[in-house]
Amino acid sequence: MSDLDQHLDAIVAGDTAAFGRWVAGAEPRVRGSLSRFAEAVDTEAVVQETLLRVWNVAPRFRPDGRPDGLVRLAVRIARNLAIDETRRRRPALMDDKELQRAAEQASPAPTPSDPMLRQLIAACLDALPARPAAAIRQRIAARGGQPDHALATAAGMRLNTFLQNIRRARVGMERCLERQGVSLPAGGTP
Amino acid sequence: MTREELDLLEEAAGAWRPRDRSGAVKGHPAWHDLDDTARRRAFVETTRLRALEAALDPDGLSSTGHAVLQRIRGR
Repeated sequence: MSDLDQHLDAIVAGDTAAFGRWVAGAEPRVRGSLSRFAEAVDTEAVVQETLLRVWNVAPRFRPDGRPDGLVRLAVRIARNLAIDETRRRRPALMDDKELQRAAEQASPAPTPSDPMLRQLIAACLDALPARPAAAIRQRIAARGGQPDHALATAAGMRLNTFLQNIRRARVGMERCLERQGVSLPAGGTP
Repeated sequence: MTREELDLLEEAAGAWRPRDRSGAVKGHPAWHDLDDTARRRAFVETTRLRALEAALDPDGLSSTGHAVLQRIRGR
């Protein structure tokens, strides 16, 4: 497994493409570290805010000599954000011992990339019915930059129709991949 | 789950998120309308969706990664 700190010098120099390579490896680990907070905080918002903060603090980061120091920093930032939000919104949900256990939970190992997986997923995407395929392609192409009501309008669908097509596409692709013997991440046990 | 709850879950599993006045990323309004069971399910579905998106992307980035990079690049 490669050390994602290999990108650190370029990130510090302001290279956003290098940061993108770091994010590609770090994001699943940051997200996985938040599984215990899934009921208390919107983990997607925490992951995005964490990655933005990592970009801002990276120039001041000093590696400790162990691999993936910036990822470990990101996991700490994410957990602290999640703990703060949990205490603010759901103080009864977790006591301090539980918060501490969550903070100490081991970060999941990164998932190795599989060069065949992309081909299989693309084939499953191509095999979807037209409207679910159009909806999920629109969602992917938006890259998180637009809310679903805007995507639905652009696709000529009502919002609920768009979301139902997204669901049909997601379920269809997962079934297609299962038939190929591919299992997607389980998402941890919150 | 009702169809309305499933729609909320699907919306919460997307990568778009609003921001507050300071620019901080906020939770999705749909996520706030989910109960605890649906929130756990949204977490699982989001994790799986991001894995699909990243596997499809030539740079290995999910919609989350792209949203963050767009923000950093000021787009």
